[in-house]
Amino acid sequence: MTVVIRTENVWKTYSQGTPRQVDAVKDVTIEIEEGTIAALGGPSGSGKSTALSLIGLLTRPSKGKVFLGNDEVSGLSEVFRTKMRRDTIGFIFQTQYLIPQLTAIENVALPLLCTDTSRSEAEKKARERLISVDMDHRLDFRVAQLSGGELQRVSIARALMNNPRILIADEPSSSIDEALTMELLNTLRTMVDEEGMTVVVASHDPMVLEWADVRHLMHDGQIV
Amino acid sequence: MGVRKHSDLASYALGNVLKYRTRSVAIILALFISTSILCSVEFIREGVVSDVSASVDEGPDIVVQRLIGGRQVPIPDSWITNVTNTTGVRTATPRVWGYSDVGSGSLLTVMGVNATEYGNMIGTVGTDILDDGRFLNESDYRKMIVGHGIVDMMAASAMPLQVQVGTLLSLVTYDDELVEFEVIGIFDSDSQIYSYDMILTDLGSAREVLGYENSTFTDIAVWTNFGSDLNSVAFRLDTGIAEARVLTSDAISDSMLKAYTGRAGVTALLWLVVLLAVVLLAFTASSAGSEEARREVGLLKALGFDTVDVLEIRMFESITLSLLGVSLGISFAIIFDFILGAPLLAGYILGWGLVLLPGGIPLAISLSTIFTVYAVGLIPILVAAVVPSWRNAITEPDVVLRGV
Repeated sequence: MTVVIRTENVWKTYSQGTPRQVDAVKDVTIEIEEGTIAALGGPSGSGKSTALSLIGLLTRPSKGKVFLGNDEVSGLSEVFRTKMRRDTIGFIFQTQYLIPQLTAIENVALPLLCTDTSRSEAEKKARERLISVDMDHRLDFRVAQLSGGELQRVSIARALMNNPRILIADEPSSSIDEALTMELLNTLRTMVDEEGMTVVVASHDPMVLEWADVRHLMHDGQIV
Repeated sequence: MGVRKHSDLASYALGNVLKYRTRSVAIILALFISTSILCSVEFIREGVVSDVSASVDEGPDIVVQRLIGGRQVPIPDSWITNVTNTTGVRTATPRVWGYSDVGSGSLLTVMGVNATEYGNMIGTVGTDILDDGRFLNESDYRKMIVGHGIVDMMAASAMPLQVQVGTLLSLVTYDDELVEFEVIGIFDSDSQIYSYDMILTDLGSAREVLGYENSTFTDIAVWTNFGSDLNSVAFRLDTGIAEARVLTSDAISDSMLKAYTGRAGVTALLWLVVLLAVVLLAFTASSAGSEEARREVGLLKALGFDTVDVLEIRMFESITLSLLGVSLGISFAIIFDFILGAPLLAGYILGWGLVLLPGGIPLAISLSTIFTVYAVGLIPILVAAVVPSWRNAITEPDVVLRGV
């Protein structure tokens, strides 16, 4: 199968050159194949979220290289990295990062506002995405009016708005119960099967790790 | 990317303005208050400045008075020759002026002039005669030319009188006698402060009303030769005539402005303080002070918004808030000044000068003032909101979102 994500000896150091310097990711090399679900496991502080940020082009490696497909993307300018995030990657964040003043449908439509899609088209597509995650009864509800599971589903719907090739999910089960986690995992599995996307998920939840096709365990910033 | 994207971003920004209601109302209200203060004062200050400018334009280049013991006293006619013979003087004509009333209790400015000399000074106050009236002649006695204030005042009096050419008006003299004058003209003037309630008459009649002895005057109005340096002529007059107080048109303008707009600076300072509060408010509400706004920028970047997209959103928000706040402030100031007559504020700004403004407070709006107000309202808010967002937008989304 085709390797869609590859990291080569990647390091991420925060507060470099200061007394507070932290090596969050150390010399990580992984390969993730297209159409698979890969999990990064490990305890809190092991570097999972930072590794996801590196793969998702939310931050640059301090050392090493990140490839998406055959393209080395870690050295690209911010404009190109932003474009790649817009066109290629979908994010499910640990704390969802939904905008509280917006309704579910407005939150989901958000990624298309920076494209040439009209607002009405964006909201139509957002409606379809929300319906596909069983949120048709909460379309016009504000974030504060939604439960933890509903927030997570809105977050999934938003992540899928740009039809991403790669979906990145950071601790997707952290704020939901076991039943909802199972429901979420089934939804993601359907996406992979039907749309052929690649999912990279960071979690310390054994259920999520068990469910993934491939597992990479991290400890103290390194793959173990 | 086409227009559609920009309209979507604008629509999102407008949505933000409506959704962050408390923040939006706070900024608009603060801008409204600061702009109202600034404009209410500025319209009065600008009105006074243009009125003073018109007064000075309609007056002589130099006024020569006589001071004895620090008090102004009448000038003997022997001074006229001295002044006229001073190098650089084109015309020097004596004036007799003071205050009188027509029995209504309102003081009017009565000015006696030499009809020929004064009338030859084109553009001088009182010479722009309306309709079928005429200027004074050398032989005129107890004839008067009146400003619009006299016409307005008599029309609004308890026994209304429509003043026109041929109307007879009596002035109360210094010794409480009534002296009858015939109106021979009504003059137009750009100034409300000094000529609105003015009566022009001949020197002899003015002396009778004001109690001046024959061959004495209040002051001498001097027009200099074209090309002469005003200050040099003034200096020569000052040094050449003992007891003379020489006032140039610039000095007159300065003292008039000080009398009428001395307190505008205090209000401008108050406006500056309020505007600073608005800027701080906008800065706090922007990505710099608000965790929520900072995270929003990080999220937008993570979702694929370019830095310019983020800045465009923040600019639309700031411009909408600023335009709304400033426009409301200007509108309020127009109503407050032009319709309500700037109650309290006019008294504070103009002080005792207010009692000398029977024509009402002079007001003016200029495009440059409006432009300046929009600029000083808009630019600081724009900078306070956009710069922190720009700083967050150029930071890696991971750092902004996770705060690492």
